[in-house]
Amino acid sequence: MKRRSWPLLSVLAFGYAFLYVPILLLILYSFNESRLVTVWSGFSFKWYGELLHNRQLLDAAWLSVRIAAVNATIALVLGTLAANALVRHGRFRGRTGLELLLTAPLVMPDVIIGLSMLLLFVALQQTIGWPDGRGFSTITIAHITFSLAYVAVVVRSRLARMDASLEEAAMDLGARPLTVYRRITLPLIAPALLSGWLLAFTLSLDDLVIASFVSGPGSTTLPMVIYSSVRMGVSPQINALATLVVAVVALAVVIAGFSLRRR
Amino acid sequence: MKPRHASDEHRLSRLVNIGLPYLWLGLFFLLPFVIVLRISLAEPQLAQPPYTALWEWVEQGILQIRLNLGNFQLIREDDIYLAALLNSLWVALMGTLGCLLLGYPMAYAIATAPERRRIPLLMLIILPFWTSFLIRVYAWIGLLNANGLLNNFLLQLGVIDTPLKILHTQTAVYIGVIYSYLPFMILPLYANLTRLDPTLLEAAADLGCRPFRAFTRVTLPLSMPGIVAGSMLVFIPVVGEFVIPDLLGSPGSLMIGKLMWTEFFANKDWPLASALAIVLLAVLVVPFVLMQRLQQNDEDGRT
Amino acid sequence: MPSPSDRRPLESWQDPKAAPYVRIDRVTKQFGDVYAVDDVSLNIFQGEFFSLLGSSGCGKSTLLRLLAGLEYPTSGRIYIDGVDVTDVPPYSRPVNMMFQSYALFPHMTVEQNIEFGLKQDRLPRRERAERVGEMLDLLRITELRKRRPDQLSGGQRQRVALARSLAKHPKLLLLDEPLGALDKRLRENTQFELVNLQERLGITFVTVTHDQEEAMTMSSRIAVMDAGQIMQVDTPTAIYEFPNSRFVAEFIGSVNLFEGKIVAIQGDDVLIEAQFGGLMRMRSLQPHPIGTPAVVAIRPEKLRLCQTPSDDGVNRLQGVVEDIAYLGDVSIYRIRTGGGTLVEMTLTNIQPRTEQALTWEQEVWVEWSPTSGVVLTD
Repeated sequence: MKRRSWPLLSVLAFGYAFLYVPILLLILYSFNESRLVTVWSGFSFKWYGELLHNRQLLDAAWLSVRIAAVNATIALVLGTLAANALVRHGRFRGRTGLELLLTAPLVMPDVIIGLSMLLLFVALQQTIGWPDGRGFSTITIAHITFSLAYVAVVVRSRLARMDASLEEAAMDLGARPLTVYRRITLPLIAPALLSGWLLAFTLSLDDLVIASFVSGPGSTTLPMVIYSSVRMGVSPQINALATLVVAVVALAVVIAGFSLRRR
Repeated sequence: MKPRHASDEHRLSRLVNIGLPYLWLGLFFLLPFVIVLRISLAEPQLAQPPYTALWEWVEQGILQIRLNLGNFQLIREDDIYLAALLNSLWVALMGTLGCLLLGYPMAYAIATAPERRRIPLLMLIILPFWTSFLIRVYAWIGLLNANGLLNNFLLQLGVIDTPLKILHTQTAVYIGVIYSYLPFMILPLYANLTRLDPTLLEAAADLGCRPFRAFTRVTLPLSMPGIVAGSMLVFIPVVGEFVIPDLLGSPGSLMIGKLMWTEFFANKDWPLASALAIVLLAVLVVPFVLMQRLQQNDEDGRT
Repeated sequence: MPSPSDRRPLESWQDPKAAPYVRIDRVTKQFGDVYAVDDVSLNIFQGEFFSLLGSSGCGKSTLLRLLAGLEYPTSGRIYIDGVDVTDVPPYSRPVNMMFQSYALFPHMTVEQNIEFGLKQDRLPRRERAERVGEMLDLLRITELRKRRPDQLSGGQRQRVALARSLAKHPKLLLLDEPLGALDKRLRENTQFELVNLQERLGITFVTVTHDQEEAMTMSSRIAVMDAGQIMQVDTPTAIYEFPNSRFVAEFIGSVNLFEGKIVAIQGDDVLIEAQFGGLMRMRSLQPHPIGTPAVVAIRPEKLRLCQTPSDDGVNRLQGVVEDIAYLGDVSIYRIRTGGGTLVEMTLTNIQPRTEQALTWEQEVWVEWSPTSGVVLTD
């Protein structure tokens, strides 16, 4: 019964190769001496060195990380609240509306979100004088708006899988609802909260289109810098940057995997 | 729970849990669409902001409203917009099919793998998603270039003798789409397939059904919700995709997302870009409602 | 209904002066269109081991959750110790519950689980430690105190759950299928332990179970539930020997039902013309009008099997042995009677099996005495 079929396994292998070969080649050529991506002319760290001296890129990266961190934190709170609402408050009025508002950002094309957010900020500035100029705060608000939907998906599925009688038992033992949430619910959904935060962080760090719409002069995020340099053609510095990103992500995954296994 | 029993704490928790996300999404997600609709009916002007007001008080007690339907007229009359829209839908369709053809067997293979291997295999699907989308698209430029790695490799093998032109063609866009959106297809399919009761297949086999037939008669119909969910998660965003056609596609064949970008950034025509957004939204409403309905059914069926 | 077999001193539920500890007054709970609990009234007295018995979906768990405060009734009131607790949230009720799944907090040790409720009451640290120690002793789980729930066996978890729900010294303990997750052997031992514990602590227990043997062994009284309603409330003996309805008779144990019509009353006895074509004479203290359709319910072990008929011709059926199921201590015989009905009876295997006289297709008579069953007219 459990014999594995060869066609299926070869599709699986092809799929993984398809996903990973481009990334591996990208990493390989970040150590290439030559500026030409096609020719291997020797091992070198020089692109990493150039990367570290690229002021513009470093500034953009720092801005992106700050935006991503603030975004992830606020999106985590709002997304968790929304997940609570959907899992714990039954069939309240406006439930379908909330579900719709939480699904739409998951599939809505970035160009539409970006344009509509920008037009909102412009209209707000005209009517109430805020936001005064665009940059850190407008990008962060735009990112929270779609990140919170992703957080809600992750936290919601964990909450729904949680045994409701655990919370009932705590209440039965005399804990008031807020205590139950703090002492029982939050510790039990902590892994989902962590992955929700990381997901929101990554989504923000990754966004080019929306940030391009709602950023102002002087606030250029990392993807915007990458994009403009990629449009000029292939650049080994971007390869070096990609390698660093992959390394950080892989490290984070390994750490997360280990700490989860230990529990 | 009846409201008459609701304690203050319960009422407060309702207010916070439902109210805050609603408020945020209403203000920053719903309201913007109203504004987009409003500006799609304005005219561009050289000022800050670069569009005309829809209404103004011309004198005491007289409100003048100017609705400009010209943007929509232009979209209807100029073939370039229709062509871009059709091309976007086509690319999305092909990309979705590609993701399905590659993603379904992968999801199936992972779902039927021994239990302890499933999570690592799934992690490997998600992992690339955590690295930068832009960088992953960029990786394909180096691969597909006329003097890129793929061509060099094929030339050296002697399979071809002149470099293939793949970069800046529709093919490159398909590859980019499938590559970037594959996880979105595999995850819902996997979730669906693992929920499938394996004894159903054993029952089918016991009743004399051969494996392939059991697949087409049992597994495939039951995984339909996963197929539709995955397809919508790919199809809808790809219709409005900007980065992939911009970096990998040919400059000649336009997609609507890229067109919006150009109208907005290059031509500074905010009203026309808004009108394009409205048209795109109208097109996407149908698949979106389909997806939402399916999700609802799935949830109702589970409880 | 007073049962003739009860000759014990007056129990609390029979004492007209005793005040009920739990009073459920015309409580209804609706989920949408479904009546999970339908106009139920029930009194439970201090120190009782009370069981709610019924098949799944009969509303027994909902009734328990209403007592715990985890559900609020659609209508009706609930009083505990004389206080109306209908609108009191679970965390303010003097009641604790042991959940069917045990609901042990997976991120806390055994000790922390037991301490949880005490912390909510803001007991000082020393008192908490004392109380936890007392509970660990009581349930003999001291050596498990540093473990987490996923490092415990099913039986150990059950003990921890019990310790946790007893730690606050509740006057009323609710137990939702307390033995449901244990395997058969463990279940039997634990039954007696639970009863001992309850008697020692003097706490009122209300349990929910679908297992009639469990309810019979442990309970002071049983409420049999069906479709949200209470069908009968009585001692295990009375429920078994004197079911008040066909439903209860069939739900508890096995029973043979003989349908007929009341044709005469002679002193304490009624004469019933049976559908199988004979006369039945049964003891029944209730007044019955002549002509009422009636069902005679007799337990399988109360039937006699004879190879020659006795002479009075009442309470007698002729048939052939169709099936014998040998269970070791007893055998179950199925007798196909003339009318075509199957009669089930249980005989104790006093002789080794090989020496038993009865065999398949043998012609036999089934007989019973007027006091060995009840007459049901519902």
